[in-house]
Amino acid sequence: MSTIKPIHSVKKFYFLEYFYVLLSSIEKYADKEQVFDSFKILKQQHRLGESKYKTLSSDSENLSKAQVNRYRYTFQQVIDEAKEYELLDADSEGNLTLTDEGKALLLKYRVNGPVGFNQSLFKLMEARYNAFRYLVEFLYNVNRFKPGLLIFPNYSPRQLHFEKSATRTTADIKKYSEALTQRLQQDIQKYLGEYRELAEENTKILVRLVESGLLPANSTAKFDAEKYNVITKRFRDFWITYFLREVYKYEFSMSSFDIWTYRGKQIGIMHATEFYPNFNGRIVYPTSVILPSTESSDFERLFEYADGRGLFVHKPEIERNQDKFVDSLVKAYFDLRRSNRSYFISLSALRELVCYNMKISEHLFETFLEFAYRLNLEGNLKIRISLEVDKLPEETKAMYLKQEPVMVDGRYRNIIAIDVTKGEKIA
Amino acid sequence: MNKLLRKPSEQNQHDTPGRFERFNLTENPFPSEPVVNKDSMDKRINGDIYEIEIRKKEYDQVANCFLKQPQSSPNHLRLGYIIDTSYIGRGNGKSAFLVNLQQDINKEYCLDISDGINKCFAVYVTPEPGGRTKTFPSFVDLFFKAILDSHVVKESLATLRLEAIRTLYPDLVLDETAGDEALLIDTLNTKEWFEEKHIDLAKLSHHIFQNKYLQNLPPDFPLFKGRNSLLSVFVLQSDLEKHYSGLKTGKQRLDFVFSHLIRLFQAAGFNGAYVLVDDFERIPDFQSARQKRDFALELRSCLFDGLYFNARLGFYDFILVLHAGVPRLIEDAWAQSGMENRAPISPQTASKHIIPFEKLSRDHASLLLKKYLAEYRIDPKVFSPLFPFTEDALSKIGELSEYNAAKILKMAYDLLDKASETIDQVKIDEAFVNRNKGPQQESSDKTIPTIENADSTDLQRKARDPD
Repeated sequence: MSTIKPIHSVKKFYFLEYFYVLLSSIEKYADKEQVFDSFKILKQQHRLGESKYKTLSSDSENLSKAQVNRYRYTFQQVIDEAKEYELLDADSEGNLTLTDEGKALLLKYRVNGPVGFNQSLFKLMEARYNAFRYLVEFLYNVNRFKPGLLIFPNYSPRQLHFEKSATRTTADIKKYSEALTQRLQQDIQKYLGEYRELAEENTKILVRLVESGLLPANSTAKFDAEKYNVITKRFRDFWITYFLREVYKYEFSMSSFDIWTYRGKQIGIMHATEFYPNFNGRIVYPTSVILPSTESSDFERLFEYADGRGLFVHKPEIERNQDKFVDSLVKAYFDLRRSNRSYFISLSALRELVCYNMKISEHLFETFLEFAYRLNLEGNLKIRISLEVDKLPEETKAMYLKQEPVMVDGRYRNIIAIDVTKGEKIA
Repeated sequence: MNKLLRKPSEQNQHDTPGRFERFNLTENPFPSEPVVNKDSMDKRINGDIYEIEIRKKEYDQVANCFLKQPQSSPNHLRLGYIIDTSYIGRGNGKSAFLVNLQQDINKEYCLDISDGINKCFAVYVTPEPGGRTKTFPSFVDLFFKAILDSHVVKESLATLRLEAIRTLYPDLVLDETAGDEALLIDTLNTKEWFEEKHIDLAKLSHHIFQNKYLQNLPPDFPLFKGRNSLLSVFVLQSDLEKHYSGLKTGKQRLDFVFSHLIRLFQAAGFNGAYVLVDDFERIPDFQSARQKRDFALELRSCLFDGLYFNARLGFYDFILVLHAGVPRLIEDAWAQSGMENRAPISPQTASKHIIPFEKLSRDHASLLLKKYLAEYRIDPKVFSPLFPFTEDALSKIGELSEYNAAKILKMAYDLLDKASETIDQVKIDEAFVNRNKGPQQESSDKTIPTIENADSTDLQRKARDPD
């Protein structure tokens, strides 16, 4: 491995579109303050927040001081990273201008759309850091049994039937943590086939919470109810870190892992999700491989490394793989139907199953589905698909916003029903 | 030896303590099959053991928005929905709730609940499973059958006759039925009794026909049977049943149920009825989009704006009970048929006519177990109403059964059964629950795919070896 150092120099933002927002701002203005103003507006327009699909309530005109500071911080981070890729120049007075590379990249977005833009950006990043190669190889090395699949089980108190209103004292939290530990032990056994005693680790996190003052030492004493979410987040982070460090032997921090996997997801070379049906927690797996070469036409070489190996993204050709996609779609649909009494099921849940089954990116799923849907409308598909906009009543608002919706035929779709009675049966 | 005198070597041992005695219980109080069967004699499953506190919120909403609202007001709610908010499946206690609601209403015909404003009866309807109730006419058949089952026709006939007797024979004392309403109703539906008491049935009928509500009825209405003949005919509930089955499916039967029958009920003093439709999803589950829309249109016309007497009056108030996924199933039909404007099924704001049926909480689970235990106590004075269950065990049971009422009861049954087999097991604590939870926990996920057994493409292999 050549340079793996920078993977731990944490980048503080996930969305690659920030680069586009910055570059188009610099295209219009040179003065840094003006660039920042434009950046703020575009950030809003492109819905770049903690979640891309969350409605940002505040408008860019009336931001609180803390918000402006946060935005400014992100702004500076994007500038710094863009400089590393030589996308822009700054003169001594702080005026910003685009380099030729910067202009070329901006054009890429306008011509090839976000995916083309992300992939070009990926090449610049990879040339410098090899971070994605490190991650993809790491994923494959950790799980050879299910190639590349990493699981991070996690259960909120609610999922373990501890109601927030009834969880008030240190003893209550301790009870939750014990139930959580037990579930995690079961999951490690189930998914990774090994036995791990986690009671000691559980003590560690409890001690830490007491030491940091979040939990009172006296077990019958009540903790500050406003810190409830902070406490549960501590548990979540603690166990994700535990899985990364102790179970999977990842060398760097959790936040670096987070950011690079989510960036990888936007490029389409890996997948990360917290919504895989019937699994509590996060899963990560690659949708690409690192190899010297491949004969298969279902892969596209995105990058070539100094040692002659390349990063190949899995990109099955649409028309040739249409049947395979439809079969996968139908199977996943019926798997989900079994636990759901109605014909319509959540499209994003279905997407998770199909993406994992075919090891394709969400973007590719959308392309496949769009293609199948058009055939269906023309009556040239062996099954019938209906897609609807409406959200499922079971989906709470928060969950709905955190998952990227599926865009088909120019509209966001949330639920799908499939009828196979038309034409021949599917094996 | 003669077989008449031989005895089995194993005698039933009446002297040994009962299996559940050490738990201070006469028998296992929990149902082995926690499914409500309204007609069962076993109080564990017929909805008799019922903790009202658990569903107080839901009950109060039904009472405040339906039962206590004057039926005479033209704006009273004619259609409501009880919607399950949780996706934990069946067994949340909806049927038990309905059965009790029906009993509660019929006990005093709602007069007590509404403070004398409404005299209404309640009917409990369940569509047939397996898609046999697909069309509105077949649903009406069920509805009529439910009316007959609730004996309200019989009671209406009795009411009319009683009123007539009071006017025509003010001195007649009905002492033999004093205090027994059921007997009184039966008596008033027995022709022989009238003959015994020398009551002139023709005179009685004539008086009944004077009732202002019975004036605009068609002459073939079964109440008027034998009106113009010399022989006086005594009309029974079965006559209406016969008449109905002789009517043509469709318009004739709808007219009978949604117009003519109402007149009879009004004459008997009722000003409304609550129709509780359990498991409503059994209807749309098997309907095509067109059938759904037709059904919704007919329902709308019968309830709101058709040429039926009921549409003018709002006599029958329907309450449909829906599982969590059902609103989505019928949304389109509701929108197309205009029902969405009358009684929206997915309104933007909380509405009075939608009664959310919530998932149980831990406290509810506790109340539920206590209620069942209390019904079968040997000595009702116990130091802990949960005994032999501990608080921890209760939490665990709730957690394992995802706070589903039926699952909680079933698990309590199994645990108690198990504990009764072990002589020295005197209480059921968390450890005991954990030891005996069995495969129950896993069974719920079995049908759903999980990531560890999901098929997935091996990209490395595919890239190395394209075929």
